[in-house]
Amino acid sequence: MSAAENRSIVLESAEALAASVRSGARSALEVARAFLAQADRTAPKLETYLHRMPESALRDAEAVDRKRAAGETLGPLAGVPIALKDNICVRGVPTTCGSKILEGYRPPYDAHVVERLRSADAVLIGKTNCDEFAMGSSTENSAYRVTKNPWDLDRVPGGSSGGSAATVAAREAPLSLGSDTGGSVRQPAAFCGVYGLKPTYGAVSRYGLVAFASSLDQIGPFARSARDTALVQNVICGRDARDTTSRADARPIDLEALEKEITGLRVGVPRAILDEAGDGLAPSIRASFEAAISAFERVGAKIVDVALPHAKYAIATYYLIAPAEASSNLARYDGVRYGVRRADGDLRGMYEATRGAGFGREVKRRILLGTYALSAGYYDAYYLRAQKVRTLIRKDFLDALAAADSLLLPITPTPAFKIGEKTDDPLAMYLNDIFSIPASLAGVPALSFPASFDAAGLPIGLQLVGRPFDEGTMLRVARAYEREHDAASRVPAIVTAAEGGAR
Amino acid sequence: MPIDVSVVRKIAALARLRIEPAEEERYARDLGNILGFVEQLQALDVSGIEPTSQVTEGARPALRPDEVCPSDARDEALAGAPERDGDYFKVPQVV
Repeated sequence: MSAAENRSIVLESAEALAASVRSGARSALEVARAFLAQADRTAPKLETYLHRMPESALRDAEAVDRKRAAGETLGPLAGVPIALKDNICVRGVPTTCGSKILEGYRPPYDAHVVERLRSADAVLIGKTNCDEFAMGSSTENSAYRVTKNPWDLDRVPGGSSGGSAATVAAREAPLSLGSDTGGSVRQPAAFCGVYGLKPTYGAVSRYGLVAFASSLDQIGPFARSARDTALVQNVICGRDARDTTSRADARPIDLEALEKEITGLRVGVPRAILDEAGDGLAPSIRASFEAAISAFERVGAKIVDVALPHAKYAIATYYLIAPAEASSNLARYDGVRYGVRRADGDLRGMYEATRGAGFGREVKRRILLGTYALSAGYYDAYYLRAQKVRTLIRKDFLDALAAADSLLLPITPTPAFKIGEKTDDPLAMYLNDIFSIPASLAGVPALSFPASFDAAGLPIGLQLVGRPFDEGTMLRVARAYEREHDAASRVPAIVTAAEGGAR
Repeated sequence: MPIDVSVVRKIAALARLRIEPAEEERYARDLGNILGFVEQLQALDVSGIEPTSQVTEGARPALRPDEVCPSDARDEALAGAPERDGDYFKVPQVV
């Protein structure tokens, strides 16, 4: 296979790749080889993966080709490579969540989404780097490596699903999955110039997703087009008895309906939230936001003003609820059943030593914060109060989504920041989440879509928020924008750099 | 909101989390800053507001039928144990 042929494969959409594998125009094996070759070139520089799976990927691809040769009908992701955030369990494959405490852990089962991907004939190609236990906004909290942004290797890819975003942007994979608790799919998608969907809470089973904050965690896809995002969402959504929050309400998204004009559709604009970010909001983001409003007007959407009066309390609410749930969920890492153990006298000494050595600083910070918020005397003032404010935030969204079919918000206050820029100040890092957290607390679906580029060539993403279990309308709005400005078609220089010549 | 290192020690003990003495001041400062930031919620009137613990769209969590399901992963489950003794996870002496 020539470099040029590989190049043309890695630039194709997942939808086109699956169609070509189904028709026999390409084999799943050549598709897998093309992406593996691309990742061989760029992944060592970008440090996108914690564990690559080239041998099993080639075996899985050959199995897809054999199925086709045997006359079997192939699934919607026939032969399409997909990368998984390292907090999604794959049987027998190392799963660390970017943490030292799970070093060497190999889950004895597949996550529900992995079962669904396999039955759709997708090809798993690796486990991507992430902030430890999905806690972070830059992937710098990984205990193993710092992933680079494909558009500027001195910058972060965002987080916590930074590896999953960067690998799709770098054409190492046409698709990936991440998890979004407070923005961990949408924010890195924006920093890397790709699509990132946080489905409605309950749309996708979390069975086999390592838990962070269970009332917020949701698995979501990264892709390079609205259609590809819908394609993979349709595969992973649906009821699974092993996650009691998973629901059958998720409506499959009709890909052809995404092509419909959006004339008359109401796009709600909560302008006041931009002012909440104050000076932290980059002029380039504001300009992109205003340009998008004009673009939606041009294609016939109706722009309506909406208010989210309690959204300004979202960061404070989230940084009580999420750490509280995390402190409980992470109690299971005790050195008994899996992962590392540090012996230190008695059982309690072993627990404390194991957790002290196994967890990184941000995870410890959140366990301490969550334990504090849940502890006797503070529960009502912190955790319970935050849950009440959450009710107000959710009501804001449902009210706004009664007046509008979709909401348009920024997703990040700035384009990707420099590696090391915010690591010393946890609060400054948290404030970055101002636009992503509100929809997480509300449990409504939200999509980060590539909107434009700033003067330095960094991608800018914007966010659409939709009604519960109506991912399709949001994607239709994003598709309307994509038809006018296909920001995701621009390719980072590292992808096109001559063989071996990229920095 | 200032947080004393003694508070850090207390909650670290509750969480069974060893914090190195040299790090205690740093965690105290970080927690103080974050708790100072979340103070803003105290200004909000939440009387009469029901807490949201889970967003479930009014539906009760769906439970699966209470049936015995085969689970034959004993060896796989034990394979990751830092220390095992036959079919048991082994821990330091408790009593």
